[in-house]
Amino acid sequence: MSIELTTLLFFGALLFFLVLGLPLTFVLGGVSVVFLYFTWGIDSFYLVASQIWGTMESFTLVAIPLFVFMAMILERTGVAKSLYRMMYLWWGGTRGGLAIGTVFICAVFAAMCGISGAAVVAMGTIALPSMLERGYDKHMALGAINIGGGLGILIPPSIIMILYSLITGVSVGQMFAAGILPGILLVVLVAIYVLVRCYFQPHLAPALPPEERGDWPEKFRALGAVLLPILIVVMVLGSIMAGVTTPTEAAAMGVLGALISAAVYRKFTWTLIKEASLRTFSLTGMIMWILFAAHAFSAAYQSMDAQAMIEGWMQAIPGGPWGTIIAMQVILFLMAMVLDPVGIMLITLPVFMPIVEALGFDPIWFGILFVINMEIGYMTPPFGFNLFYLKGVVPSSITMQDIYRSVLPYVLVGIVGLAIIMIFPQIATWLPDLVF
Amino acid sequence: QDSTTWRVQSHWPSSSSSYEDSLVRIKNVIEERTDGRVKLKLYPAGALFKAQQTFDAVKRGTIQMGTIAPAYAQNQMSLAGIASGLPFAFRNVWEVAYFHKNLGFEDMLREEAAEEGIYWSTDKVYPTEMVVDRPIESMEDFEGLKIRSSGALQTFLTEAGASASYIPGGELYTALSSGVVDGAHWGAAQGAASMSLYEVAKYHVKPALNIAGTDVFIINQKALDKLSPEDAKTVKDALNEQFWVRTNEYLYKEQLALAGAMEKDGVKITELPPEVQKKLTEVAQASWEEQGERSDKAAEALDKVKKMLTRLGYLDSDA
Amino acid sequence: MRVFTGFINGITRLNDWIGRAVALLIFVMFAVLLLGVLYRYALDAPRVWTTELTQFVFGFYAVMSGGYVMAHRGHVNVDLLYSALPLRARAVLDVLTSSLFFLFMVTLLYYGGIIAWESVDSMETSYSAWNPPVWPFKIAIPVAAFLLLMQGIAKLVEDIAIAVGAIDGPLDAPADADKEEAA
Ligand code: NA
Ligand code: NA
Repeated sequence: MSIELTTLLFFGALLFFLVLGLPLTFVLGGVSVVFLYFTWGIDSFYLVASQIWGTMESFTLVAIPLFVFMAMILERTGVAKSLYRMMYLWWGGTRGGLAIGTVFICAVFAAMCGISGAAVVAMGTIALPSMLERGYDKHMALGAINIGGGLGILIPPSIIMILYSLITGVSVGQMFAAGILPGILLVVLVAIYVLVRCYFQPHLAPALPPEERGDWPEKFRALGAVLLPILIVVMVLGSIMAGVTTPTEAAAMGVLGALISAAVYRKFTWTLIKEASLRTFSLTGMIMWILFAAHAFSAAYQSMDAQAMIEGWMQAIPGGPWGTIIAMQVILFLMAMVLDPVGIMLITLPVFMPIVEALGFDPIWFGILFVINMEIGYMTPPFGFNLFYLKGVVPSSITMQDIYRSVLPYVLVGIVGLAIIMIFPQIATWLPDLVF
Repeated sequence: QDSTTWRVQSHWPSSSSSYEDSLVRIKNVIEERTDGRVKLKLYPAGALFKAQQTFDAVKRGTIQMGTIAPAYAQNQMSLAGIASGLPFAFRNVWEVAYFHKNLGFEDMLREEAAEEGIYWSTDKVYPTEMVVDRPIESMEDFEGLKIRSSGALQTFLTEAGASASYIPGGELYTALSSGVVDGAHWGAAQGAASMSLYEVAKYHVKPALNIAGTDVFIINQKALDKLSPEDAKTVKDALNEQFWVRTNEYLYKEQLALAGAMEKDGVKITELPPEVQKKLTEVAQASWEEQGERSDKAAEALDKVKKMLTRLGYLDSDA
Repeated sequence: MRVFTGFINGITRLNDWIGRAVALLIFVMFAVLLLGVLYRYALDAPRVWTTELTQFVFGFYAVMSGGYVMAHRGHVNVDLLYSALPLRARAVLDVLTSSLFFLFMVTLLYYGGIIAWESVDSMETSYSAWNPPVWPFKIAIPVAAFLLLMQGIAKLVEDIAIAVGAIDGPLDAPADADKEEAA
């Protein structure tokens, strides 16, 4: 059987069982087992169990339960609520202000955390109820969290960038520096999209009625709500920058900050902490079992000689250097709909990089395109991690269909960002050239 | 004409120079010399199995061949510790090559691996060296260092007075650049360069912490036995030849990498002061004994090491 | 019928109870990480065990969550088609798709068991500077697979009961933080 046909069957089966409503983790795991049986035979099932152990051993994933725990405490102590109340008082006159604020908080989160996942779950818990309460359209709110939650891999530190550097041999420091401006660009693009859309359709993100906007004393009193969140950001970012902790260890500083906040708000009770820990366990479990199965799925797919297929495609692409780069983006975009970023990296980069360099393109710039593409991939149906993570925290009134639909405009925003960086490579390369 | 395809899981990422120079080389040599009867299908690090699980996967026959560091076989082979390198023992790469191939250590490894149904063939010998972000000019300098380390070297460096902690590879660059740690070892010059460590740590420390046959090919014995005797011999001969080709080539590329780092990143070489070297040697020699205690074979291998070091004049004959 | 509901509730309660215990490990990860930072940064004397202990506790915590999350219906699915169907049709569908679930779990139970057995057999340690035993954590894979498998069987029994009309709908998941969240 040709690899093209196998690929079609492999991802077809994935889609089929997903639509039938079997949870994602079991679909990924089960489909892997079936396909391994037909390609390598029963002995290869060892690979599935072995990938689970490999994932259990990934230290950097420890940041997930810790950041989720931090968010659960902040949500339960009312810190998050006060923060959104403050944003609403100050930004209440601006339509869509809360959505923009949410993406901004996501960007700050991204600077504290090297992986995606934790941010989506955290912001889904903290930001979503606040936006829905104030009459925000659910698609507007969900999409903002989805795109914001993916920023973690673009704004340094970023584990995906470190892997990219290791696989391609480019400098980690340059990759980190290169991610900053594109990260800001994406935040700005999302803000522009939200403002324009809400200007024409005010009902999507209603402004606070003038009589409720509060007077200045009230606004300044509300400002107190940012103190504790800022304390936490300072503790986490500060300890990374000052060389006190690694990014993963810094997540524990975030928990410490959240516990301090709970004490300040006089909510430090055993019941609250226990509830937060149980909820953290559920959400981390949901994320980790998706990752367990996704890694097995990726390994199973690679065992089928996926790389040879990509190699074949690359030889058939017309259109000169730019045609090649665009074709690569399309391939990455399609793969990101169904595979996890690390798997995509292992399959595509060994084929892509020699071509990219032979055509004279900057591998740092290409790396940024790659990372943005992966970020978009986190929210493209059918299988984008962020979509599922978000589904795990939203109230039951929000369906997967809502979440799928919510990302469409934000995917377009991401693609616009990608195009801008393709046209103006300086956005990615200026800072690394300056620093190194 | 019948051909066999072996699945080969590497512990090198595809950008590592060894992926091309060792793995693709052996693939080409084997495929050419068997007239295509034995083909290798290569997988970069982590594609199918994590490095630590490759030994088990090859042993079970899920894949037929793999590359590992001896450290990943610690639980199955009592000689793995010595194969990973005794700290501050050998001083030159050629000495370790001689120890493996002329004094029979490679045969001892093969014997022990055979008990697990695995054919063992060392790819090459090379040093493990540290990079740090400040010069080391005294014992105080050394003792003030926070070093990212792993395995036996972590214990060794700690006992010698430095603060060695383990940080996962994915966070090493960030940790080194922010000052969570002041130094690290990741192979030697090529390894450090591949992790961009020279951007944030400008001093390359000599002498080597250890020199050893740190990259190894392992083959499932049953897969090897399924080949015709001539093809099996061709594979084994190719691997033996590879050891010499790659050991020498790697030395050359180490120097290129170091020269490049000095030129491009302004890296300087710093030699550990005599007092530090003396202390490290003392601590090292005590640590060797532990490796010898793992089995009779390990004791025999350690004895061989000591005899050779004594003859070379590195060790007092009563040690 | 009471035997069946008893079985289903029993499994669910078992997974719930284990989950509630394992969930507390978040405090261990938090504390050990901070302790590690304290030792390295404040006391200038890093301990060899902090990173590795956190990593192993995390692996255990993550894998052992499977049954608990399933007991609380927390494994996320796509509900496009699903939400349009009546309860009984859903149950029938779930019975059919569960084949994939069982394939995955039996594989994990068996091959996870082999990985665990090989580890126990050689009393595997990590060979780091700390060198702790690895087997207690590897055993967690087949144990977690078993717990998930039991929960899956409980769900299958429940789905069949719904499909044949023996019960009207799913038995209640145990009350917990999740429920309060959704309310
Ligand atoms: Na980040
Ligand atoms: Na996707």
